[in-house]
Amino acid sequence: MQHPRERRRGMSRREFLRRSAGSAVALPSLAAVLAACDRPGETASREQINLLVPRPDSPVTLPMNGEPIPTDTPIEQGADLQIFNWVDYVWKAIVRRFVEENAEHDISFSAVTTFNNMEEAVAKLQAGEIEADVFFPTIDVVPKLAVAGLLQPLNHDLIPNLEQNVWDVYQNPYYDQEWRYSVPYTVYTTGISYRRDVISDDEIYGMANPWEILWDPSHRDRVGVYDSYRDTIQTALLKAGITDISTGDPEDLGVARDELLSMLDVVNPRATINGSYKRLPQGEFDLHLSWSGDIAAGWGYVPTYTRDYYENLGYWFPEDRRGPVDNDCIAIPANAPHPRLAHEFINFMLDFENAMDNFSWVGYQPPLNDAQPALLTETEGLYSQVSGWAEPAEYVLPWMEAAVVRQSDFDVGYRQAPLSPEADERWNDVWQQFKAGVTTGG
Amino acid sequence: MTETTVAEQRRVEAAVPAPRAGRLRRWWSNPWRKPGFLKAVTWGYLAWSILPLFVAILISFNQGRSNSSIQGLGLNWWWGDPSGSLFRDPELHVAIFQSLRLSIGTMLITVPLGVAFAIGLDRWRGRGSGTANFVMLLSFVLPEIVLGVAMFLVVVNVLEFLNLGTVAQVVGLVTYQLSYPVIIVRARLLSIDKEYEEAAMDLGAPPRQAVRRVLLPMLYPAILASFTVVFADSLDDFVTVRYLSGPASSEPLSVKIYNFSRGSPTPAINAAATFLLFATTLVVIVGYLAYRYSTRGQHRDELTALGQV
Amino acid sequence: MSRPAGSAAPARVPKLRRGRDAQTNGVHYPRWYWQSFAAPAIAWLLVFFLLPLYTVLSIAFGTVDPILRTPVPVWQPWWWTTAHVAEGLDKTFGLFQTVYLRTFGYVLVASAICLVLGYAVAYYVARYAGRRKTLLLVLLISPLWISYLMRMLAWINLLQPDGYVNRVLTFLQIVPEPVGWLEGRGITVILGLVYGYIPYMILPVYAFLDRIDVNLLESGRDLGANPLSTFLRVTLPLSRPAILAGLVIVSLPMFGDYFTNTLLSGSPSTTMIGNLIDDSIYTAGQQPEAAVLILILMLLLLIPIGYYLRSTARTAAAR
Repeated sequence: MQHPRERRRGMSRREFLRRSAGSAVALPSLAAVLAACDRPGETASREQINLLVPRPDSPVTLPMNGEPIPTDTPIEQGADLQIFNWVDYVWKAIVRRFVEENAEHDISFSAVTTFNNMEEAVAKLQAGEIEADVFFPTIDVVPKLAVAGLLQPLNHDLIPNLEQNVWDVYQNPYYDQEWRYSVPYTVYTTGISYRRDVISDDEIYGMANPWEILWDPSHRDRVGVYDSYRDTIQTALLKAGITDISTGDPEDLGVARDELLSMLDVVNPRATINGSYKRLPQGEFDLHLSWSGDIAAGWGYVPTYTRDYYENLGYWFPEDRRGPVDNDCIAIPANAPHPRLAHEFINFMLDFENAMDNFSWVGYQPPLNDAQPALLTETEGLYSQVSGWAEPAEYVLPWMEAAVVRQSDFDVGYRQAPLSPEADERWNDVWQQFKAGVTTGG
Repeated sequence: MTETTVAEQRRVEAAVPAPRAGRLRRWWSNPWRKPGFLKAVTWGYLAWSILPLFVAILISFNQGRSNSSIQGLGLNWWWGDPSGSLFRDPELHVAIFQSLRLSIGTMLITVPLGVAFAIGLDRWRGRGSGTANFVMLLSFVLPEIVLGVAMFLVVVNVLEFLNLGTVAQVVGLVTYQLSYPVIIVRARLLSIDKEYEEAAMDLGAPPRQAVRRVLLPMLYPAILASFTVVFADSLDDFVTVRYLSGPASSEPLSVKIYNFSRGSPTPAINAAATFLLFATTLVVIVGYLAYRYSTRGQHRDELTALGQV
Repeated sequence: MSRPAGSAAPARVPKLRRGRDAQTNGVHYPRWYWQSFAAPAIAWLLVFFLLPLYTVLSIAFGTVDPILRTPVPVWQPWWWTTAHVAEGLDKTFGLFQTVYLRTFGYVLVASAICLVLGYAVAYYVARYAGRRKTLLLVLLISPLWISYLMRMLAWINLLQPDGYVNRVLTFLQIVPEPVGWLEGRGITVILGLVYGYIPYMILPVYAFLDRIDVNLLESGRDLGANPLSTFLRVTLPLSRPAILAGLVIVSLPMFGDYFTNTLLSGSPSTTMIGNLIDDSIYTAGQQPEAAVLILILMLLLLIPIGYYLRSTARTAAAR
């Protein structure tokens, strides 16, 4: 049964987008797009805006802003692989394995260039300040960067592993049909991680609206949220019962803002990026908004690496799987110094063994056909095996089974779709109010 | 002067043997005794200021992974751990080299510019000198975030040929540090009379030579102090270099510490910071010794110049 | 100064000039001589200091590209748009008012602590240190060349729930259980600010107290005043310029500080002005807002900066 608000918005937007989706084919060239941006103050055309707001029910085929590199391009020799990624989001040991496997091309790798949030990454890419071979965007920036000509189209012949190994849902994702610019990297859900020694499983699973536990005054000063506007505001939306987590409706966002400001009053949360995988296991938080992969990797950051201590880490996600579910991508920036090597790397990361080994360290699950969800809670990952100083841990600890992502989750879950510029402004306004610490009391 | 007065007083008091019973009372009733309270406050402050550093250094020798409590001592994070230790992790090497590169580069540009500026400002009589002085002092007194953000916006939106990275960072640092040599050198210039140069010129030296051969050697202590100060200050600069950093290879150690503190720091970062600390201490000691040697017998204006501005 | 008799004529004689050069006691420098020394630095400051400041202005009064949401600077003042500035001013008295007041509060308290503690330390070292003076001076100056980030890192280590500060406090029974220092407390941020900036208070005050003529202080004693009275009536009034200078030098950077809050707190309830600027600079479409915030910050600091510049000019002229 749809929420009354959903239907009202859905119909008008669906019609509107259906009308203009056809024009995606007859798109003006990129030069024209950029030329239109020359005079400040002139609004971009409707077609261009539509590309930037794909929805699962109105997918988007991004325009080709150039030709992918030819299939017979040789791998660059003596290259230094440049990766642009979140902090701690790819296992360096796996990258070094890639370097070793391609030793004949004399490539090297020293460090990952990191960013603290996607806005910072996009700002640096837009300014042309970073020259990366591979970039790990969230799905909402893929259309924006593709339209702006900052990503290059992928040559599918060089990445055979995608069609072989990856879930069907990603053969034609809604935000990048025909996977022209991106491949999926990891899949995850967004729930709440909690300390099982402070809050029992029954307590949180038994609540009528478990999202409310983040507003519980008995956990004051011990609650964390992500320093990411999409994830935190969407949590407030979900707590208020609004399921369109990519809404641009000012009323909905007003509700979310009020919820967030009351959270400041009641609970004094802290905004972090490492709160769930590092600080909650270390005892600094009792509750934290969490991506499933963060808490799955949490066992690596506990003070004492015993099974008993692992049992203190828990994860909650709606049992009917109606919650935020999403994926991250890998893409190749347009100014990549070594595009052929980048393709090779992407194909390497989509290989089952490499992806699973990376998963064992990063905690984030790859959407591969052979990764049977049922086995993930029973098999010990490579990272755990090589960590002699820690007691064994499965890919996903059995008592946080909710952290395992299944392909069926994508049928019922909510996706974090890209926002239109006006909607983005409103979301940013709400975020600013939250970050400024302006409480409803004063 | 203070020392002689106090020493005098002590000598006087020591000459008169005090009756045992009255010693305590005399100590209490002497209003000009050394105040123990201030002494305690001072040493307490110094402990508060310096001890955490020793703890940070100690943690770099931690056997375990924790950043907050010692789990045994060892060289694990210095060169033991195969991928994360200071010696083995190329990321930390790059950061340390970048820090050194930035501070040396900044030092080499800032000091000549600043010294010349100081000499020019000091001797310049006329319109414009006040404005130039004002702009220089403004760059000294504005919060660093203003300069960092302004430079970021300029590099990203205006000076397109300049990319974020080492060059931009050096440019930003030089701008931020330029006032230090000026202030230090001007303090010394105040005590240098013009008659030395004028004597040289009376003897027939052209102005350029007078400056180069007479004035500059007299300024060596100040120049030395400037080099040391600019080096030390830009080595751990954070705000400007963070905004102007580009790829990972251009992030100096200060930015790495900041990023890691928001991620998952291991004691290796403490090791890297300790390493850089020793390097800086060495440079400062060398600089100070050279300064003392070059100012033997003279009044040392530069140290107090920094305080007075 | 006349040439010694019998010396050979010099190879080159500087040409005689009139006017400006006549001021320099008969020694003749070419025109613009000293200016040429200052020229490279002036050019540098023009391009890399004044130009960026002007860019901040042009972006604050400029527009935003609709698709990429990047700022578009407008260079000619007659085409300036006031949308961003209006919005910024609006927010200053509305949404961000709490942040400004909070920052003022933190800086006020932190500066006051710096003053009291710093003055006490400087006084002791200047007047009573005796033989240990050099050692104490070295220890006092040391924070200036020890990385600020490393010192903050040390504090983060110490203030963890299982860190040594909590261990000592619970051991001594001062607190019943470990305190969450890093859980978004204003006091932690204030102490962090004090920790970071107090050396900038101690040095000017020390330099001043070191140079005070002891006779002035002794005169109070000779006239029968006790130490406290001498301090209040002689030393303190004399040190007023040094105190004010120290306060200005200490408080100005505190206004722009954002990393102390990020490292020691991370909670929105302790956000400072610097955090607002830092957050908006990396958000798409919000760089004009960052520029406006910078302008407002500079405006706010106009008075202390102006005071500082004026007093420096005065002391320079007095010399």
